Amino acid sequence: MKSYFINRPNLERLIRSISKDYTVYAPVLHEGNRYYKKVEEDILGDIALDGTRAVETIKSFYFPARSRLTGYFLKDPSDKRRRPIAIIGAKSCDMASLKIMDYVFTQEPFGDPAYISQREDGLIISSDCTSYNNTCFCVALGIMPYPEDGFDINLSEIESGYISEIGSEKGERLVKEYAKLFQNSDLYIERRDLSRKKLKDELYRYVSSKNLPQADTLQERFRKSFNSSLWEETARTCVECGACNFICPACHCFILADQQGEQEFERLRLWDSCLLFSFAKVAGGANPRKFLYQRLRNRFDKKFNFFPDVLGRFGCTGCGRCIEACPGKIDIREVLSKLAG
Amino acid sequence: MIDNPYAPIKSEVIDIHEESPTIKTFVLKPEVPILFKAGQFVELTVPGIGEAPFTPSSSPYEEENLEITIMKAGRVTSKIHQLKKGDIVGIRGPYGNEYPLSDFEQKEILLVGGGVGLAPLRALFLALVHHIDRYKAITFCCGARTPADIIYKDCVLDKWQRIDKKINFRVTVDKKDDKWQGREGLVTTTLDNLKIDIKNSVAIVCGPPIMMKFTTFKLIEIGYKDTQIYLSMEKNMSCGIGKCGHCRLGNFYVCKDGPVFRYDKINTLHEIWD
Repeated sequence: MKSYFINRPNLERLIRSISKDYTVYAPVLHEGNRYYKKVEEDILGDIALDGTRAVETIKSFYFPARSRLTGYFLKDPSDKRRRPIAIIGAKSCDMASLKIMDYVFTQEPFGDPAYISQREDGLIISSDCTSYNNTCFCVALGIMPYPEDGFDINLSEIESGYISEIGSEKGERLVKEYAKLFQNSDLYIERRDLSRKKLKDELYRYVSSKNLPQADTLQERFRKSFNSSLWEETARTCVECGACNFICPACHCFILADQQGEQEFERLRLWDSCLLFSFAKVAGGANPRKFLYQRLRNRFDKKFNFFPDVLGRFGCTGCGRCIEACPGKIDIREVLSKLAG
Repeated sequence: MIDNPYAPIKSEVIDIHEESPTIKTFVLKPEVPILFKAGQFVELTVPGIGEAPFTPSSSPYEEENLEITIMKAGRVTSKIHQLKKGDIVGIRGPYGNEYPLSDFEQKEILLVGGGVGLAPLRALFLALVHHIDRYKAITFCCGARTPADIIYKDCVLDKWQRIDKKINFRVTVDKKDDKWQGREGLVTTTLDNLKIDIKNSVAIVCGPPIMMKFTTFKLIEIGYKDTQIYLSMEKNMSCGIGKCGHCRLGNFYVCKDGPVFRYDKINTLHEIWD
């Protein structure tokens, strides 16, 4: 894929230009963490493209925690299209999660119109990780700490600027339109590859201390462990809060809820959690996952057994957010390391 | 812009039949005809309250109206039971797969239904009867808790029995009352001494999970192969389009890949009878 070099002042110019057509969000540092913030003139200088992933996932831009899907009985059910969104600085783990989201929400014959329009109209300028958190384990699942595809443009920080790798026609058009801002990148590619390798090696070393099984054995190990006591043991400290689901970039389950809107009834879509008691319960009262350990196991089933089968990839991207979020200190890496050999 | 799959179609309640103390059949007239195939389901919306999945119980060849037979079981169904003629509801669908009627041709068909599980089988039965010449015979086994709980009474105890000589009924109740002259016992007891050439038969089962479980085991005991048994699975189907995640069964979503499953496709999965 073609690459160019862009220095920081020019990148800020580019972002300023993009914001004429898009609502732009980019990570900004706050007390050591990164949060997506709507980009306005005064925060251009604060955009933090280095480091690791933001606290929140990017799924919420396309699949909000709470959104209005439709009013009732509308002849033309298309809601007003939202302004397209540009996301700057998405990391590799979150880019990987979009493959899960795309699979779920664009699947025929019933695509999700709001998701599809926001994804089609949107722009993503991702960026390499330059460090890792102590909860990161992407490489153990075969995901590199730098985005390999799915982006329009990817930025790799190098000296006083960034290598901009083009990943789509939309990205190419953008670079063409603002060609003056970009320079030749040949000088920098080798250095980028070296720093990518350095971080990757460091992360491999760190993750190997967690004794995670080889990625290609995980599904088989999960299947062998279905009736293991591991699930009951792990569920002992689970408080059934659903935090792991809500913070997960690849969890997509939702519940529909109807309510009286301002003028008419309306249907909402809310994020749901498979850890909650009633998740699979039917009206007659039957509940295939009555016990918490079954629901906890189901989370792993979905991520390490279902998605490998239907999509050929894990429903987990190794971002480690659930490890930080869990009040019961359940560490997904530890659970995976205890799967039957 | 693609159609919004979450938007229901406005439909009017044009008639209501009381089937049993807890079950009613609603005759609904959608603004735009909703064409379904036997086995598929729809999501029925009570305005402002919510929606729930049901398999229509009317003939798929009836295009204008749709009948849905509903047991009062939860939050939404309690509201549905309060509906009156003229009330407005919403319907979206149909979703999921249908009974593979072409695989049933020239076969002896065994239908086994328990309680409100008779609803999808009614749509199937009416579809079969529509082309009765294509099938060798139909044996319809129905079970209910008590005589009062039998739904479509006029039909299963009378009218449908007289349609064709190829059609046989076995109706049983778990517990009889003073007036009941028929069989007493669980629906599985109707499967004893079947006058069916099992090798050339398919069995279609619909009912509560426990009934489906024991009926399936009984069918296997009397000689049906897993490939000859079709089940209508009941899971929590919310979105109906394979997105919300609630009705996952192994690698399937019941709403999208079901609700009709041939037993050999799911017999090794966890959680099928729960």
